[in-house]
Amino acid sequence: MIGLEHYLVLTGILFSIGIVGVIRRTNLLMLFFSTEILLNAVNIGFAAVSKYYGDLNGQIFSFFIIAIAASEVAVGLGLLVLWYKKEGTIDLTSLQMMKG
Amino acid sequence: MDHMLSLIIFFPFVAGLLGFLVNKESIRSYGVVIAGIEFLLSIGLWIAFDTANAGYQFVEFSALIPSFGMSYYLGVDGISLFLVVLSTFTVLVSLIALNIDNDVKNLIIAVLFLEMTMVAVFLCLDVILFYAFWELSLVPMLYIIGAWGSANRVYAAIKFFLYTFAGSVLMLVGILYLGYLYFQATGVWSFSLPDWYLVQLPFNVQLWLFGAFFLAFAIKVPMFPFHTWLPYAHGQAPTIGSVILAAVLLKMGSYGFVRFSLPLFPDATVYFVYPIAIIAVIMVIYAAMVAYAQEDMKQVIAYSSISHMGIVVLGTFALNAEGITGSIFLMLSHGIVSGALFMLVGVIYDRRHTKLMSEFGGLATVMPNFATVYGIMLMASVGLPLTIGFVGEFLSLAGFYRVDWLVTMLAGSGIILGAVYMLSLYKKSFFGVVTKEENRTLKDLNAKELFALVPMVALVIALGVYPKPVLDTIDISVKKMIVLMEAKAIHVETKAFLINANSIGEVQ
Amino acid sequence: MEKYLYIALFAPLVGSLFVALFASRPKMLFTGILASAFIGISMIASFVLLFHVYNHEPLHVEMMDWISAGNIDIPFGFIVDEVSVIMMVTVTLVSTVVHVYSIGYMDHDKSFNRFFTYLSAFVFSMLILVMSDNFVGLFIGWEGVGLCSWMLIGFWYHKHSASWAANEAFIMNRIADLGMLMGLFLIYWNVGSLQYSDVFEAVKTLNPALVGTIGVLLFIGAMGKSAQFPLHTWLADAMEGPTPVSALIHAATMVTAGVYLVIRCGEIYTIIPQVGFGIACLGAFVAVFAASMALVNNDLKRIIAYSTLSQLGYMFVAGGLGAYWIALFHLMTHAFFKSLLFLGAGNVMHAMHDELNIKKMGGLYGSMKATAILMSVASVALAGIYPFAGFFSKDKILEVAFNEGAYFLWFALFIGAGLTAFYSFRLVMLVFFGEKKYGHELHPHEAQPFVIYALMPLGLLAAISGFFEHSFREFTTRLLSDYGVHLEHHIEVILIASTLGIAISGIAFAIYMYGKRGGFSACWEKSFGYKVLSNQYYIPKLYEMVIIKPFGVASEFMWKKIDVKIVDFTVDLIARVLYASGEKSRKMQSGNLSDMLRWMIVGIVILLALAIFYRPMV
Repeated sequence: MIGLEHYLVLTGILFSIGIVGVIRRTNLLMLFFSTEILLNAVNIGFAAVSKYYGDLNGQIFSFFIIAIAASEVAVGLGLLVLWYKKEGTIDLTSLQMMKG
Repeated sequence: MDHMLSLIIFFPFVAGLLGFLVNKESIRSYGVVIAGIEFLLSIGLWIAFDTANAGYQFVEFSALIPSFGMSYYLGVDGISLFLVVLSTFTVLVSLIALNIDNDVKNLIIAVLFLEMTMVAVFLCLDVILFYAFWELSLVPMLYIIGAWGSANRVYAAIKFFLYTFAGSVLMLVGILYLGYLYFQATGVWSFSLPDWYLVQLPFNVQLWLFGAFFLAFAIKVPMFPFHTWLPYAHGQAPTIGSVILAAVLLKMGSYGFVRFSLPLFPDATVYFVYPIAIIAVIMVIYAAMVAYAQEDMKQVIAYSSISHMGIVVLGTFALNAEGITGSIFLMLSHGIVSGALFMLVGVIYDRRHTKLMSEFGGLATVMPNFATVYGIMLMASVGLPLTIGFVGEFLSLAGFYRVDWLVTMLAGSGIILGAVYMLSLYKKSFFGVVTKEENRTLKDLNAKELFALVPMVALVIALGVYPKPVLDTIDISVKKMIVLMEAKAIHVETKAFLINANSIGEVQ
Repeated sequence: MEKYLYIALFAPLVGSLFVALFASRPKMLFTGILASAFIGISMIASFVLLFHVYNHEPLHVEMMDWISAGNIDIPFGFIVDEVSVIMMVTVTLVSTVVHVYSIGYMDHDKSFNRFFTYLSAFVFSMLILVMSDNFVGLFIGWEGVGLCSWMLIGFWYHKHSASWAANEAFIMNRIADLGMLMGLFLIYWNVGSLQYSDVFEAVKTLNPALVGTIGVLLFIGAMGKSAQFPLHTWLADAMEGPTPVSALIHAATMVTAGVYLVIRCGEIYTIIPQVGFGIACLGAFVAVFAASMALVNNDLKRIIAYSTLSQLGYMFVAGGLGAYWIALFHLMTHAFFKSLLFLGAGNVMHAMHDELNIKKMGGLYGSMKATAILMSVASVALAGIYPFAGFFSKDKILEVAFNEGAYFLWFALFIGAGLTAFYSFRLVMLVFFGEKKYGHELHPHEAQPFVIYALMPLGLLAAISGFFEHSFREFTTRLLSDYGVHLEHHIEVILIASTLGIAISGIAFAIYMYGKRGGFSACWEKSFGYKVLSNQYYIPKLYEMVIIKPFGVASEFMWKKIDVKIVDFTVDLIARVLYASGEKSRKMQSGNLSDMLRWMIVGIVILLALAIFYRPMV
């Protein structure tokens, strides 16, 4: 029987993969993938807990997250394309204008 | 007459704003005229002041934020009256003697803004308002030192600003906490000082609050070891900045002690009398010795300020009418004397562009009038009787003698050490033969400088010979405050201390 | 009568202020004449007051309030009683002579006008000192004369030594003034008033130990002004000032202010005879100590200055032992003959073009007869030879010491009398007699006639004022407690005879040594004793080594090390730590998105940890 624990473990594993990706990757596109993994890890968690408690709020919240993630990717990819056209690279190290 | 105090506070401010419209040629005379009117207003305040009334007069009250008890609350009593007159007088004479040409318009406007904040600090009875003006006074001074000072001016200005600002922040915390305590005690918010005077605070709360206020005042005075901003500020500030700084801004600290620390926290005050007296003695002796070692004339006077403020603090913490009245009078006299001394150093700096004593010598031959005025101020500074310096020093020391003779004797050594550094300064710069060729052709005081200095000389002698009208006015308010302190004190020992300090009896 | 009081007091001030208007101008003769005239007016008024007080009663006026705060209430009040009127007469009389004399003496000085401003201001301060009816008023005068003395010693300020001596005098006096100020505070807090009348009334009921402290503190003040050991070094150095100043301030008036204080506070010192005895011992010590330094000095003015010190010691013996009227009497006679001696010395200096070494003079009698005679009269009076003034006053002091049973005090004073006679005639012999030792380019000449005439009254008084003893005693003891010597007649005669004997033998020895033998042999000058004496017991050097230098070093240390390196360094350190931490942590802001994300994760972990483990509210 697959219980709540299994979902939460999956969430944890996915979240860790996402975090490692966020930290380690320098390609902007890969960064977006990692964020998606992070968000979806959370989504799984929400859905699972929601089912466990019989409370729909969690599932509704994960819909919100999917919507926001989608719009974020849309805007983010647009900017990414622009940046690529301007600089010819999507490497993170080229983005250091805020250096203190 | 209803809004006399508001007028005195905001007249220089409005005039300063209008000053932006005045053209550059006439700004100097504009400044002098404004300062003159302001001075006359403050004299008018003195004339209209009822010297038999110990309480606040010309009170103005209107609520600003009633739900938090903040209000526009002004009033003047014997303690603050003369400090207001001193502020306006100092600004007037320093503007007359002003000897700066670059960007003079902004300078004069800054000085007028500064005048507003100084006067307001002495007149505000609402603590939040007081705090606002207290901090606001830093800004024009920062600007004056930073923009018109000498080589190392930015460092000095920032040090002055940050140091005094850091101290005051703790005072803000204290103010808010005290306001909260008042709210707890009465159920109403109020930040008006006379209201606060009525609450009795528990002893340990008094200790903490005393500490919070003390730091702000101690840095401003400045007390050892918080004094190091002062030599830099004086050393780098233009003459007008030094004059106002020494004459008025330092007095805000010692005024704070009299106005806040003593009546709000009587038990804590008595508890801290000895530590503070010891700091005051260190100030007197240490600053006098450091002054003796200086090579720069202006630094000597800067350190001598610290030394004299030590006696002011000592007089304040004598907690009897003699001491406190004396210390307030000493604030006035030190304001006039040190202001004049800084102005005199400015005179010689304008001519030679150096302040090192080794560069001079024999000036008495070349500039006899200058030497005479300098000599008179010097004698007032070392506290010679029949000059203004003696009265305050005598009363302050006499007051503290009731508390402790040993401390008084140590602090009294200031009159010896004061003579040591002042006379050696005079000897190095004025006596001897003229050794430097460029000193031979120095011009004596010109009309403008005389016009600024002669009133100061006159005051030094007039108030030295007949200080009674001033003393009486101060005394009556001080006595009222001491009665208040005694009534408020929660410890029996505090009451006993206060009664003892204010009565004649057998003393070793 | 009050009118005369105000005239006597304020005439010198008016003169001083008027002359001050011309202070920076070149010499104007009328300033000197005018200043002298004002002092003369003051003198006449003082004499009028003297007769008034003699025939009627003392005057007391309160001019106006001065300081009042708390319980303190100090007026400007003046009292003219038996003591202060004697002081007034002495001060104004000597001052008048000195003023007139200065017109001649300062003739060639370019700061002629300034000199008279200061001199008249001094007289005013001195009158305030003696006429005030309270201690703070006395303190005004006390500091006022100190100021004038500073200005006058440093009158030739272009000389380093003069301005140094001026500062030394002022600072040493300040040290003593602190003691006096403490005494005033002590009086105030115990009595509640600083008026003489209240204080003298109240001390009778005070704890004697307390009165003793008051007495000691006031005497510390007196020690400074009257240059008693160990605060004596300034007086000899003060001889850098113009000679009329030395005559007026450092011989006749200001230095006797300490004695005046003791006399004035007689009612305090009567209660505490132990303190009085201490004062007498110090006085006797100084009498011999100073006289010994005068023996070997070669500086014309310094010899007289040491002699002044020694005579002040005599006065303190009398004052300390309770013989106030005798102290006052010696104060008065001493003022006459000592100022005469100084003014005569001034004439000699002028004749010798400011040469001060008496070894380089000699044989001046031929060219300066009048001065020589006047100075001899003064020296005889100083030595205490009958019938000159010094005999009456000084001999009385010796009798007092004997009468009190303080035989060692008497013996010290007795030795002192011999030394006094010797050094005064050593001076006279070396200056006026013997062979000429100055160069041929000098042609000594007598001072102007009016200068000599001005000195005549002093010469007369030095000769005869001793005969006023009985009326003086009758007059002053109306206020002061009387002191009678109760010795058997034959002892008294022996005392007088022995004192006279030692004085005369001192004189004879001096005349023999310097007249016949032409001075001591050279080996004496190489001996240890001579070196100690001529270096003033190495005390000035000691002060230099132990006080002045260490003070300078300590001040330098305080500034350079403590103030800059510790206090200010700490302040700057706080600022620097803040600044450096910003500098360090700004690397965090690398601009790299990965780094920022990493920091974000670190932050999240920390917050999570806090949320889990730190639960203050639970």
